[in-house]
Amino acid sequence: MGGNTCIFRRSVTLCSDHPSRRKIFKLRRLGAACLLSVLILAVLALPEARADEPVFGFSYTTDLLPKHKFELEQWSTTRFTKYPGGKFWLQENRTEEEWGCSDKLQLSLYQIYDSTHAFHNGPFGATTPAEQFQYYNPGPDDHFSATKFIGVSGEVIYRLTSPYTHHVGVALYTEPTVGAAFFEFENRLIFQKNFRDDRLIFAANLTYAPELRRVADPSNPSKKSIQEETDANISLGASYRFRRNWSGAFEIFNEREFNSYNFTQESNSGYYLGPAVHYGGKNFFVTAGFYEQMPWASPHVATVPGGIVGGRIVDNDFEKYRVRVKVGWYF
Amino acid sequence: MKAKLIFIPLAGIVIAGGPAYATVFLSVEQAQSVLFPGATFQPDTRMLTDEQVKAIERASGVNVRSKQMKVWRVSTGGWFIVDEVVGKHEYIPFALGLDDRGAVKGVEVLEYREAYGDQIRNPEWRKQFLDKGPDTKLQLGKNIHNISGATLSCKHITDGVQRLLATYELVLKQSER
Repeated sequence: MGGNTCIFRRSVTLCSDHPSRRKIFKLRRLGAACLLSVLILAVLALPEARADEPVFGFSYTTDLLPKHKFELEQWSTTRFTKYPGGKFWLQENRTEEEWGCSDKLQLSLYQIYDSTHAFHNGPFGATTPAEQFQYYNPGPDDHFSATKFIGVSGEVIYRLTSPYTHHVGVALYTEPTVGAAFFEFENRLIFQKNFRDDRLIFAANLTYAPELRRVADPSNPSKKSIQEETDANISLGASYRFRRNWSGAFEIFNEREFNSYNFTQESNSGYYLGPAVHYGGKNFFVTAGFYEQMPWASPHVATVPGGIVGGRIVDNDFEKYRVRVKVGWYF
Repeated sequence: MKAKLIFIPLAGIVIAGGPAYATVFLSVEQAQSVLFPGATFQPDTRMLTDEQVKAIERASGVNVRSKQMKVWRVSTGGWFIVDEVVGKHEYIPFALGLDDRGAVKGVEVLEYREAYGDQIRNPEWRKQFLDKGPDTKLQLGKNIHNISGATLSCKHITDGVQRLLATYELVLKQSER
C-alpha cells in the first residue's frame, strides 16, 4: 500500500495516510469516555440496587445462575499499546444471554463484534492486525482499521461441587465459537475456594482452547491457509468483599499460544496482572478491571522474530494493556 | 460512527438497570409477636468481650462479626435476638427466639435484599431449626437440608443460628443465674 491509497473491504479500511484518522480516534476516545461516565452515573444513581457475580474480569468462579433464571451481560474489552511509537487499539464486544438450566448447569449464547485500528504496532514495527482480523493482510506500513462481526459462541458450565457445601468448588466449562474464518473450542476447569463468610474468594482457571483459523499464506499473501493453534491459559484471582455490594479483586494470568494442538511449537507466552472492582446490586452488576502485561516474556521455539519488545510479546494476540468492563442485568 | 454504535447495547443495559428495593417482611415488633405471642419484651442489649467472642467462635466455628448484641428478655421465659448474616452482597437480618431451655423456638427472616435465595423464608425450611439446642451441631446438607438456588443464604442462616446458640450457652445462660 503506498501513497494515499485506501482500500475498502466491507467494513475494513486500509489507509496508508488519511487526514480523517485522528478525528476517528478522537470520536472513539469520546465514545469510551461517555461509556465510562454512563457506567459511573448508573452505579451512583442506583442507591438500592443489589446484584451478583462475576467478581473477576478474566477468571471464572463456580457460581452459576439458579434454575430457570435469565441474565443478560455485556462485555467490553479494550486492548491497547504494542510496539513503541506505533498505534494499536482493539475494542472487543460481547453480548451474552445466560440461562440457568438447573442449579448445576448454566447455558449461554453470545455474539461477538469487534473494532480495531493498527499501525506500526507489531514485530519490527510492522502493521499487524489483531488475531481476529488476521484474515486481512495489510502491508507493513498500512493504517489498518476494521469493524467486524466476529462470531457466535455457545457456553456450557456444569458445577461438580459448590464452595458453599464442599471444601472446594469445581466446575467444567466448554465454549465452541464459530466465525467467518475460524472455529475455536475453549475448555476450562474452574476452582473456587471461599473464606471469611464467603467474602474472600480465591479462583483458579485452567484453559485449553484449540482453534482453526483461515489466514493469509505467508509464502503467498494472495492465498489463504489453515492455521492450527492452541491457547493454554492459567489464571489466579483473589477477591474480597470490602463493603456492602463492593468487591475488590486482583488477578494474574498467563496466556500461552502453541502452533499445534499438542503443546509443541510454542509461539507466545504473556503474563498479565491487575486489579478489578465489582459492584453487585439486586438485579444489576458492573465489574471493571485493568491489566498490564508484565515484561516477563522470553522467546520460544515458534516465536515470531521481533515479537518480543522490552520483555513483552507484541504479536497479534498480545498487547500491553487491557481494560475490561462487564455489565449484567438479571431477569 | 461504527465505533460509537458498538457502545449502544452496553448503554442500553445500563439505562435499563433501574432501581430495585429491599423486601421487608417483618419489623422487630412483628417478629416478637410471631415468635412469642402475648409476651412482653425487656431490652437487654449487651457488648461481648474479646474473650467471649473467642469462646463463641471456638464453640460454633463461626466468625463473630459484631460484638454488639440486640437481645430482649421475654416475659414468658426465653430470649429474643435480632442479628444479621452475610448474604451474597448484602446482610440478611433475622430474628431468633429461644425458649427457657435455650432451644430454638423459631427463626424469622426480617428483610431480604438479594436477587436470589429468599426461599429461606419457607416455613418448612425454617422449621428444621425448631428445638435445636446449643449441644446440636448444625450442618447444611446433613441435619439442615439445603435449598437449591439459595445455598449461600441457607449456609449463612445455619451458621448464624449456630453462633447464637453458642452465644446463649456462653453468655446469656450465665446471666440467667
